[in-house]
Amino acid sequence: MNEVKTAHTEKMRTSSRQTKTARQKTKSNLAAGYIFISPWLIGFLLLTLWPIAQSFYLSFTDYSLLEEPVWTGLDNYTKIFTADTTFTKSLSVTFMFVLFSVPLKLFFSLMVALALNKSIRGMNIYRTAIYFPSLIGGSIAVAALWRNMFGIDGYINQVLAWFGIEGVGWISNPDTSLGTLILLNTWQFGSTMVIFLAGLKQVPQELYESASVDGAGKFRKFISITLPMLSPVMFFNLVLGIIGSFQTFTSAFIITKGGPINSTYMYAMFLYEKAFKHYQMGYASALAWILLTIVALLTIINFAASKYWVFYESDGGKPK
Amino acid sequence: MVNSWSKSTIFLTLAMLLVLSACSGGGGNSGGKQTDDGGKNNTEQGKKEEKPAGGNTTLSIMWWGPDARHEATKKALDIYTKQNPSVTFKPEFMAWDAFWQKLPTLAASKSITDVLQMDAAYIQEYVSRGQLEDLSDIDLSGIVDPSVIANLQIDGKLYGIPLSQNAQGMAFNKPELEQLGIPLPHKDWTYEEYFQWARDAREKLPEGKYPIGDTTTWDAFNYYQTAMGKPPVMADGGKTFTLDKTLFMTFYQTYEEFRKAKIVPPAEKAASFLENDPQADPMASGVVMTRGATTGSVSALEQLMPGKVGVVNMQVGPAGGGWAQSTIFLSISANSKNKDEAKKFVRWFIADQEAGQALGLTRGIPINPEVYNALEPTLENKDKLGKEIYDLSLDKALPFYPPAAGFSEWVDTYKKEMEAVTFGQQSIEDAFNKMDKMGKELAAKAGGQ
Repeated sequence: MNEVKTAHTEKMRTSSRQTKTARQKTKSNLAAGYIFISPWLIGFLLLTLWPIAQSFYLSFTDYSLLEEPVWTGLDNYTKIFTADTTFTKSLSVTFMFVLFSVPLKLFFSLMVALALNKSIRGMNIYRTAIYFPSLIGGSIAVAALWRNMFGIDGYINQVLAWFGIEGVGWISNPDTSLGTLILLNTWQFGSTMVIFLAGLKQVPQELYESASVDGAGKFRKFISITLPMLSPVMFFNLVLGIIGSFQTFTSAFIITKGGPINSTYMYAMFLYEKAFKHYQMGYASALAWILLTIVALLTIINFAASKYWVFYESDGGKPK
Repeated sequence: MVNSWSKSTIFLTLAMLLVLSACSGGGGNSGGKQTDDGGKNNTEQGKKEEKPAGGNTTLSIMWWGPDARHEATKKALDIYTKQNPSVTFKPEFMAWDAFWQKLPTLAASKSITDVLQMDAAYIQEYVSRGQLEDLSDIDLSGIVDPSVIANLQIDGKLYGIPLSQNAQGMAFNKPELEQLGIPLPHKDWTYEEYFQWARDAREKLPEGKYPIGDTTTWDAFNYYQTAMGKPPVMADGGKTFTLDKTLFMTFYQTYEEFRKAKIVPPAEKAASFLENDPQADPMASGVVMTRGATTGSVSALEQLMPGKVGVVNMQVGPAGGGWAQSTIFLSISANSKNKDEAKKFVRWFIADQEAGQALGLTRGIPINPEVYNALEPTLENKDKLGKEIYDLSLDKALPFYPPAAGFSEWVDTYKKEMEAVTFGQQSIEDAFNKMDKMGKELAAKAGGQ
């Protein structure tokens, strides 16, 4: 170690003149670097960071868009936490949605990924066919399709009628409407599935082979090899899934309009209506910051918990 | 260890960034999306019609409406450019929702288009914020009846040029009622007659069909309250709030009885209705025999069930019922740089015969009698129905009561609370107490300003 260090300083000393130019070079490199990333950087500062800062300011004001914002201190936050029953309702709806849709979606997409990870002739065709709907996944069109399928005279009820079952109005009944949206979210499994599939491809075959030699069965191999090896991918999908589900908007907005009786009044939709329907920008900004805090807290908890179940191969296969 | 720690730090930072940008997206982008999409198409449209060499003045203009209105209006703009080569247009047009999402943003940045369509439901709000130009000096004599203008003035000034006559009435499924031997609704039927008609019709209708629809929106009750001679729910720009408890209880208890007796569709069914949707429209789907319709909107229903729509005016009480007046206007932005050209244009829009021919009845019955008389011989059945609603409504009509500025949330909450009543999750009295309290708070706030 020491030898290397002295050799290094020696070299530094002899090339002190060069260092100066090198330093200049670094400086101009740095400038060039910033220039190269400037399209993104300027965009980020102006279109992301600045609006975020502004919304933080607005969250302490009463701002109707038509008039100048009026500073009201913590009023918005006080009202949200003490007097707004819609806030409580939409938050609990959103939590229910996240609680059910995230695990369901993870489970479902993992199962599909496992099924698609076999070497059968024409597998690429199956993969394409199954991923294909995801290309149009989050769009308005799919939401509209869902509305027709689960409507009171929709296809689902028509099929049920063949078996003599009288279906309910899935999306117009407050007891089933949220479930219908959870189902839709689960069905949009494409990108999660692709990430799982990529993860499965990364699992070294030798592990399975040596496990086979030790006499492990299919289930054992799945529990002891596939799941731990897949845990970083699982973690990634979980974090993204939670963040995404908290912001669910399109399906609630298009299919149910948040109803009936607020049964699908997602937080993002509540926020949107406050801002763009009732023109309470300040209040909506406060809601956005509360959502940010909630999602950030959940993400931090996730990271803290991850060391107990996420395995990185680079750490020698042990949890951190 | 260090390696994985820093790795997860980067990951965490990335995740946080995602959360951050995602949240700001929730606030802004989702809303922007709809309007932007509309905007995109429209700017393209606009560019096409902007002739860079020809015009000295370019008027920007914005309106909402269905496709037929868009096409007709674009045609009218072309005619104006032909008659006045120095003026070209930059039009933007979209659906109702998108329009009212976009307008506040434009107002906030003081970039409202030179000319814009306005609605009776919002005009007071925009006038009170100083966004609209006073148009009192435009000479409308011989074009618009002076009493109409007097009726539209806000603090003695005119802020919107009325485009058409509009009225609220009811549509009914004429052939089906006749076939079942149910008497057709008659002009000036009272609320008592209406309710009794529904009870009688129930006896003759097969299962799965209903004489009348359920109601959850505030305006339906406001019609009832004002017809019974009480003040409107909101008055004085929201400073006075009246929700009459006795009337409220009577009105909604009647509907509660109707839900039990299957005179109105079950809540679950009612929540799945979507007006003017071929399958989900309560009346066009054949499920309900009647529904509300305005002069401006009845043609859409007629197209879904051609030849089957009959119309009648709103139920009346001792004070009258329904409304019949102008509700769509053209206004000019107070920040416009082309006010004089814009004023000339808005007058032309209702005065010119050629424009009238191009526009037809796409905004209701033209306000200018001369234009309407020229159109009358060529009217189609769907347009005649609109005129019929207007004629039936005129003598008993009450004023049009828009939601007051600042009450949009109250309006939404009203619907949700009443939905909870229809689903049996809440008593009528609880709903009343909530809406009364919220309304009084808003009125106090409006009065304090």
